[in-house]
Amino acid sequence: MPDWVNPVVDYMFHEGLKGTLRIAIGSLIASTVVGVVLGVLITIRFRPLEWLIRLYIEVWRGLPLIVTILMVFFLAPTIGTAFEFDQYTSATIGLSLWGSAQVAEATRGAVQSIPREQHEAASALGFRWTGRQVHVIFPQALRRLIPPLVTLLVGVIQNSTLAAVIGATELLGSGQRQIERLSAPPPQGLGEIHAFEVYGGVAVVFFIISFPLTRLAAYLEKRLI
Amino acid sequence: MILAFFLTDTWSFVTDNWDVLREGLKVTLECSAIAIAGAFFIGAIGGAARAYRIPVLSQLAAVYVEVIRCTPILVQIFFLYYGLAQPPISIRFDAFTVCWLAVLIWGGAYNIENFRAGFEAVPQRYREAGLALGFTRFKTFLNVSLPVGGRIALPPSINTYIAQVKNTALVYAIGGTELTSVVLNLNAVTLQTVECFTFLAIVYLAIVWSLSALIRLLEGHLALPEEAR
Repeated sequence: MPDWVNPVVDYMFHEGLKGTLRIAIGSLIASTVVGVVLGVLITIRFRPLEWLIRLYIEVWRGLPLIVTILMVFFLAPTIGTAFEFDQYTSATIGLSLWGSAQVAEATRGAVQSIPREQHEAASALGFRWTGRQVHVIFPQALRRLIPPLVTLLVGVIQNSTLAAVIGATELLGSGQRQIERLSAPPPQGLGEIHAFEVYGGVAVVFFIISFPLTRLAAYLEKRLI
Repeated sequence: MILAFFLTDTWSFVTDNWDVLREGLKVTLECSAIAIAGAFFIGAIGGAARAYRIPVLSQLAAVYVEVIRCTPILVQIFFLYYGLAQPPISIRFDAFTVCWLAVLIWGGAYNIENFRAGFEAVPQRYREAGLALGFTRFKTFLNVSLPVGGRIALPPSINTYIAQVKNTALVYAIGGTELTSVVLNLNAVTLQTVECFTFLAIVYLAIVWSLSALIRLLEGHLALPEEAR
């Protein structure tokens, strides 16, 4: 291994991987919570609410994710200073808008796939709407929700790279910084370009993370649905 | 009232900068068209190789699919644009080429899976009937498996094409000339942030929503007769 590799790898793992995980975990949690709530609410037969959630889903699924993230980063601050977010938060919010739309759609499908009889049986046992959802319908729907959530995790991890576009130093962004540093003339850098190795390395890291997860999602889909 | 004001504002922004915006939209549509056409061919050929387990080709397609699907497309774009430009290799693409090439390669991988599933869903007896009529294996594929399997694969493959259109926006990261880059550059010059993003959102949603509507339309038209299932 040439000398320049060690500090680059060190920086990318400490700074970059941390940033990626921070964005990915934050948006996974936010997407799941918001998405499940919206997905359950859309199954209520109340037209205006249904349309509103449908609009939310279609807008955030329809826009390119990069446009959503740029919107959060550039457009939100025009509303007021309270909406000025740093790069990590902007990326997390953008990913959460997109992810929650995916989860909402998956939840709607899962909840509606539970047969009517389950609702009726639960009502006959004296459960009210909330009790029915919490104790009877949702636990069953959750099984069918797990494979799409694993797929979402893969999507969120991969798409967290978009944060590099607005200047966050997650895995891709930290690699970018290191390439710039190495290309600077000595003594700061080496005056050499190492984009091939660094971006190749970033791709390998993402592959090592994503491949087992896609396998897991396929396995769960067979087991749980 | 506020909405009307807001929309007239966006409208005057669009008319003021129409030449630039039209150029950007043109590049987005061109890149998308090339990438979608390429992904169709890769999908049909690769999907057939996977479904009929054609030796070597099938394994190559499988590796290609996994590599592309398990790495972020933005990393692929950076690799194509910066990685391959590195001296001993020195393959330099401009942003336009990277735009359609990256999205084509990415969409091809997803499309192989769409077509594989489509071809595998063609009942075995259809192919047997084709062979019994004296068609060669290749002719059977062309006349039986492709039209039937292609129809089954159409809705998911249109979803892939929609995702391809959206992914052309990613070349903003390397300074492209397509819609998102053009609008973001205008934003930097004019500071009309609200108008810029309103226009951007309207255009993308119009493209994406009309393609989704097309899927629903085609699903009814192209549904196979009941006995074919």
